[in-house]
Amino acid sequence: MEPALKILPDVSGEIAGRSLEEWNAAYVKVENYFHALRIRNKPLLGQLVLRVLERAQRRAPRETGRTATEIAAEEMDRIVTDWFSEVLQTSPVGSEHTLSTRGRLALLLADMPGKWQDQFLRPGPWPAEFVEAMRESFFRAGPDFQLSKMAPRPLDLGPITTLTNFGRLPYVRIVLIWLFFGLVLFVIFRQTHGGFEQLMNRLSLLIDWFK
Amino acid sequence: MADQPTITPLAIPRLRRGWRLFLFFTSAVVLTGLVSLLFADLLWRTGWSTSRTVLLVLFVILFLLTAIGCMHGVYGFFIRIFGTRRRITGLKPFKEQSIAGVSTAIIFPIYNEDSVRVLEGLRATYESLERTGQIEQFDFFILSDSTNPDRWVEEEARWCELVRDLDALGKIYYRRRLFNEERKSGNVRDFLNTWGKRYRYFVCCDADSVMRGETLVDLVKLMETHPTTGLIQTVPALVNAESLFGRIQQFANRLYAPVFISGLNYWALDFGNYWGHNAIIRTEPFMQFCDLPQLPGRKPFGGQILSHDFVEAALMLQANWEVWMAYDLEGSYEEAPQALIENAQRERRWCQGNLQHGLVLFAKGLRGVSRVHLILGIFGYVASPLWLAFLVTFDWIYCMQKFTGLSDITVESFNPYLHDLSGTQHAFLIFVICMIVIMLPKFLSLLDLARDWPRRAQFGGLLNATGGVIGETIFSTLHAPLLMLWHTRFVLTNIAGISVGWTTQKRTADGTDWLYAIQRHWGHTLIGVAWGGFTWWLDPGLFWWFTPVLAGMVFSIPLSVLTSRRPLGARAKMLGLFLTPEETRPPMELVSLRSRMKIHELTGGDCLKGSHHGLAKAVLDPYVNAIHVSLLREKELNPVYAEHFKRIGAGSEGVRELGEKLLAVGPEKLNHTERMAVMADQGVMVWLHQQAWLRPEEKLAPWWKAMIREFSHRDN
Repeated sequence: MEPALKILPDVSGEIAGRSLEEWNAAYVKVENYFHALRIRNKPLLGQLVLRVLERAQRRAPRETGRTATEIAAEEMDRIVTDWFSEVLQTSPVGSEHTLSTRGRLALLLADMPGKWQDQFLRPGPWPAEFVEAMRESFFRAGPDFQLSKMAPRPLDLGPITTLTNFGRLPYVRIVLIWLFFGLVLFVIFRQTHGGFEQLMNRLSLLIDWFK
Repeated sequence: MADQPTITPLAIPRLRRGWRLFLFFTSAVVLTGLVSLLFADLLWRTGWSTSRTVLLVLFVILFLLTAIGCMHGVYGFFIRIFGTRRRITGLKPFKEQSIAGVSTAIIFPIYNEDSVRVLEGLRATYESLERTGQIEQFDFFILSDSTNPDRWVEEEARWCELVRDLDALGKIYYRRRLFNEERKSGNVRDFLNTWGKRYRYFVCCDADSVMRGETLVDLVKLMETHPTTGLIQTVPALVNAESLFGRIQQFANRLYAPVFISGLNYWALDFGNYWGHNAIIRTEPFMQFCDLPQLPGRKPFGGQILSHDFVEAALMLQANWEVWMAYDLEGSYEEAPQALIENAQRERRWCQGNLQHGLVLFAKGLRGVSRVHLILGIFGYVASPLWLAFLVTFDWIYCMQKFTGLSDITVESFNPYLHDLSGTQHAFLIFVICMIVIMLPKFLSLLDLARDWPRRAQFGGLLNATGGVIGETIFSTLHAPLLMLWHTRFVLTNIAGISVGWTTQKRTADGTDWLYAIQRHWGHTLIGVAWGGFTWWLDPGLFWWFTPVLAGMVFSIPLSVLTSRRPLGARAKMLGLFLTPEETRPPMELVSLRSRMKIHELTGGDCLKGSHHGLAKAVLDPYVNAIHVSLLREKELNPVYAEHFKRIGAGSEGVRELGEKLLAVGPEKLNHTERMAVMADQGVMVWLHQQAWLRPEEKLAPWWKAMIREFSHRDN
């Protein structure tokens, strides 16, 4: 399809009722999107953009309340979706979102940016290899589910289970801190009052008693 | 569906194991007993006191742990000399075992990791497996738990790129959970609940794991040959370190681990352990017996079991399955932290998990050997506060001795051979014994290397390896006191239930940033200086004995920064220090991984810059958006995930409104949960893609305009 874009502005400096700046913005928008689709071939990119703008210019005089960018972006979306529909042989009616996603994924998996840029948005017939790559590219993040349910077996911790609930008692931490403080005081006292010698004396008394 | 296995009697008679356990641990206990007797005698000679009783108890515990370590080295050394058939690879011939029709999943659970590194590791493993001609028997799964949306999108995009590169659609799968309940163990459980029954075995890898294809095939063959084995753990070699710290750790791992693990296998045999990754697991019994229950009580001990691996091995053993360590299977690799602080961060996580095992220890029905594994794990951390307590108690005794004016030696030794020794000489004798017990495994590892010519060459020759051991010993002497302080802090804060917040490490291209090192180590330095000053004031003679401990603390900041530097690591490599077999003769898997990582480093990837770049990519990039949406669609087919989608409100009007808000005001005005809800809604994501490209810029938030501009000018 040859683009028949009216590239020269009329006397008022407008094209299809929109200023040149507006069409420039529309051009950039469409070009950006095709660029995002990894269309790197400059002549092809330019040609595709002009094709979209041509359709947008046809619509523009009828839709005076909308910007050229909005119309061009819509046209771009429509052209791409229609093309996906043709290539993938899926009706676009009611499945635009699914089709768009599937189409983009097919482009990626068929390696359109690397191998088939020349086929992008081209009307059919397309090379069989390309069609096959597009239609048969499948995408699976996982094999078929084979659902089951693991169930933990309880660990019998015996009396430890009771101990683990000890901390839930009110003020138990505060009491523990006081007890620890008391223990420290006790140790200091023992250390400074010959505690060990006393203990050893008692032990020797005990040993003597056994003898 | 995995075959229903038949449990047969254990391969190794109980009596033999009993003798092995008895011999091994008795050796450690006898050694500890004798040295403790000497130590008690020294304490007795200097006049007994309560603090000396405390010191003796601490000494016995600490020495017993050291002696157990030493015995691992000694037993392992002799086993390597005389050989043993009591190892999983030596029990039966397995190389000819067919694995046709045996399905094995290789899973990579990940959590906000660098997806480039994860997927390159997976690629290296995949390509290696492909070369064995057995790739058909294996499927790969990337099991993401990432909560960072940028990471999420990057993972998806890179996964798709990888499967296209390798033509591996239907061989390498990607799944991300919407809720990362119960962390890694929950992630693995989710995989098993969804696909587990398709696979007879699964190999659990870490984010940084790389495995040789032949090793994977061997693991499956071993499992097939030993139908009573539930789990085989490989011993991963540390690789790819570049910093000095990383290279030292890597060298120690490669040189000492073969001897140590041989020793471990001597007493553990088929009652081995699981380290959480680089291991093959029989799916059916794992699903049946190893799902982890919640522990009673509150955190830090109650609730979810954090270090799941030891417990899973214990449960497997409890159910009469064997767990082996295939320590002589090469071709299992992992990476280690590149700096002291990174290492401590990892230790902190592990510490909490290991302390929790204190409760599991009392679970009824566990094997005694499992309890030994758990105790050794716990004491790996608890030993630090005990060591600190030992040093402090010693200082206290010394201080008291000095200020009470008591003489050093009050009575003679009970041993006539020690009668003539002064107190200092007696102490020095014990010190020398301790040093021998600590150093002996290192020396034996070196001796083991000396008698193995090909391996010796892989370490750069005996001279270089000896230099490496000396360097490693100096470094670990400086590092040990820091670990002692860190572990003590982790243990105490965990017991107190205090969460220790660590900011993300600030790394320069070369390693740890000086300012960050000061923030993390100022306390260590202060303790070192104060302790050193106190010891000097107490007795300058004593000070010199403490210098190895104090030096690590005082110089912690430069030690931390300098050892994290890559140039220093490279310099040591040039000098032939700390060389490992994977450095001198890198296997193909690692060569491939390194070269690809280098390319990524040089090209800098293709990520958008700035905040929320993942979201921008998922919305704006027609392909990434298609991948993202397709993955969400596929996930909805699983009733469990469908329930999760409902929980976050996917498909609701509320999320659509959030999508509108996202376009109008940008992602900054949405909170994390709202952004994640939008990204998990396939309908909204398709709509956002369309709207972001259809709407004129005036109707989009400035952030979108900037992103579209950046996106349009990059070379995708």
